[in-house]
Amino acid sequence: MELTTIKDAFDRVNKKQKLSSSKSQEVIDQVGREIEQALEKIQSADDPTSPFDQKSILTDLVLELNAIDPLHQLEGPQKELNLNLSKYQKLLERFFNPDISKAYRNVDFDLHIVNQILASHFYQEGLFDLGDSILNEAGEPEATVLKSQFLDMHQIIEAARLRNLEPALKWASTNREKLKQNGSKIELKLHQLQFLDVLQKGTRADAVIYARTYLAPFYSLHKKEFQKLMCCLLWAGRIGSAPYPEITSPSHWENLTEELTREFCSVLGHSYGSPLGVAISAGIEGLPTLLKLVSVMSAKKQEWQAMKQLPVPVELGKEFQFHSIFVCPVSRDQGSEENPPMLMPCSHVLCKQSMMKLSKSGTRSFKCPYCPAEISVGQWRQLYF
Amino acid sequence: MDSLSNGAAAATIATRTTPITTTPAPPSSKLAHLTESLKLEHQFLRVPFEHYKKSIRADHRVFEKEMSAVISGVTEAADADVSKDDAVHHLSSLVSKLQGLKRKLEGGSRIENLQAQRCRARLDHLESADAENLTDWNNTRLKRILVDYMLRMSYYDTAAKLAESNNIQDLVDIDVFQEAKRVIDALQNKEVAPALAWCADNKSRLKKSKSKFEFQLRLQEFIELVRAENSMRAITYARKYLSPWGATHTKELQRVMATLAFKSNTECARYKVLFEPIQWDFLVDQFKQEFCRLYGMTLEPLLNIYLQAGLSALKTPYCYEDDCTKEDPLSQDNFRKLALPLPYSKQHHSKLVCYITKELMDTENPPQVLPNGYVYSTKALEEMAKKNNGKITCPRTGLICDYLDLVKAYIS
Ligand SMILES: [Zn+2]
Repeated sequence: MELTTIKDAFDRVNKKQKLSSSKSQEVIDQVGREIEQALEKIQSADDPTSPFDQKSILTDLVLELNAIDPLHQLEGPQKELNLNLSKYQKLLERFFNPDISKAYRNVDFDLHIVNQILASHFYQEGLFDLGDSILNEAGEPEATVLKSQFLDMHQIIEAARLRNLEPALKWASTNREKLKQNGSKIELKLHQLQFLDVLQKGTRADAVIYARTYLAPFYSLHKKEFQKLMCCLLWAGRIGSAPYPEITSPSHWENLTEELTREFCSVLGHSYGSPLGVAISAGIEGLPTLLKLVSVMSAKKQEWQAMKQLPVPVELGKEFQFHSIFVCPVSRDQGSEENPPMLMPCSHVLCKQSMMKLSKSGTRSFKCPYCPAEISVGQWRQLYF
Repeated sequence: MDSLSNGAAAATIATRTTPITTTPAPPSSKLAHLTESLKLEHQFLRVPFEHYKKSIRADHRVFEKEMSAVISGVTEAADADVSKDDAVHHLSSLVSKLQGLKRKLEGGSRIENLQAQRCRARLDHLESADAENLTDWNNTRLKRILVDYMLRMSYYDTAAKLAESNNIQDLVDIDVFQEAKRVIDALQNKEVAPALAWCADNKSRLKKSKSKFEFQLRLQEFIELVRAENSMRAITYARKYLSPWGATHTKELQRVMATLAFKSNTECARYKVLFEPIQWDFLVDQFKQEFCRLYGMTLEPLLNIYLQAGLSALKTPYCYEDDCTKEDPLSQDNFRKLALPLPYSKQHHSKLVCYITKELMDTENPPQVLPNGYVYSTKALEEMAKKNNGKITCPRTGLICDYLDLVKAYIS
């Protein structure tokens, strides 16, 4: 792995730096000692037996220090240190891309929009103080509505995590219509969990009352689930042994927070994942391709800044495919309203324009470019993805 | 992932005689993406290294300066005729100077050790990314990118909070930006002294990159003297600080000297603009650029770079339609606005997403066609058929048909 090489290079830098710094300490001590010795001699010069006089002591000291040559002593270690510093830097430039802004188009992002995006990212992640903090530091207006929506969400989810479903149930009944439109079963699921909880902790009678009050309204829409739930009454206090793992499995609790988040965001018209997180991840996956592209078309810097469509595909993971895009295998054109995909009887698909070309504007039959099938006039139909 | 395509050009596909049915989906490309994305982390390693290098250089300069002073101090004493007391006093002061130097370098050495640790912590962090912790690692990367943005925008409190609450202080450059903050704060208060001191500190590197930031600071100081109607001082100032730049920046120098004749209330647009407060904002921007360049950072925040690449890769004409799925960031107005000046992505191969499950339709989960031409994934249709005794209801048109009425579509 390349990183090992880089780490080794850094360790060498670090070693040389320590060497150089202990050398300078050593030299300082050496010089200090010489001066101190001279100082002692001068101080003891009162002694008539002392052969030294002040002048010669100082001259000797100068000679001594010249011999030590402190600056020269540091030259060697410094030179080695500098050598390793520049080696390491070159290594970084070789293994990493030293300028990832090469594919950057010179457009200024609207600062306010970016700040709002950051704040709503923080709110969505439940980091409310950070959301408030950035709006405050950036001098942006408060995002009260958004904040209170996510505040509700995180309170409901936090409560559910502690197995308190009251807030979630209240929210589900308030948004019953919308949830129904989305085909969500979350309200039934919440009541189901609550019912089983009552059954486990309370009495059968409590559970029956709960079922009558809250589960009965779901009977007509979810008969099977309802019947199984009522059978659970037979296993009061030992729910785990009921023969309906699809209902009693503890994984329901584990998945609940994710499910609640999903439903809550969907009701509000938000995405489940932070859109900022999604866009940045797409950028991290896509940027290497863009940088390679720029390096091969470096001569055409102008074109890069002005193009309406990227000249090559940037392959992103499945999780970033949000739209159906049809590309005609013959013409390589992207499907559109004017030029939609057409299905032939052999199950191969071409775009309308390619089909028109092959069939001479729909006047004669032709052979499918991908199989031996003969396609007669009018034997094709438009597809909708 | 591109499991519908077989990577062949149209010509080779055309020679096939059988429908393309099974091309195995490529193995998860996530780790390949990771390796590629690690190469984008130059700044992550370079900034702490520059910081480290800077301390090393500064300490060495201190050593050279102080040591030379001590040696010449001794030489002077030896050359002069001084009393014994003076000699003792002089040498003692040199000894304490050396002790001071020693303490200073010890302190410097401690800082350098911390900086080296930080460099190593970042190398370790890059090395730690693997298949098991990828989600966490990616989350941390997003946070690093956010902190970088906030530091560059001077949102220091939020940046520090985010770093502290996630315990990633070693992975972000808060302390490096402290240095920038001092200069920026001063410039915003219309003070140039800290900026000039910063230029002096980094003189050789600024010179190497042919920076004219110091000249711009000097021009601003000159303009302030003209504004204060202090012509004589302005002229003295210009002779001392501006004329050295005259040879390389003649035009700018001439323009600014002309303000002496116009004063700050001039209506002449060419000179009026020089007196406007926005000049200070330019200086702040200029400083930020020089600062980033010096530390080996990109001039744009990482957030902008990644966001731009991501939005471009995601941008399709369908993103701007009303039925764009909420999971697409480009369904949101804010993201749409940011993406407006960016190019659309390009596809060489079809990528089909099931309207019902939102999953990619590939060879594992191929598309099937209803009699009305609407296409859904096999998975979605099978499930629907199972629940409704083999009946399929088209969610977009309401058409009801039999599962057996469906036909396959081969899409390459
Ligand atoms: Zn065919």
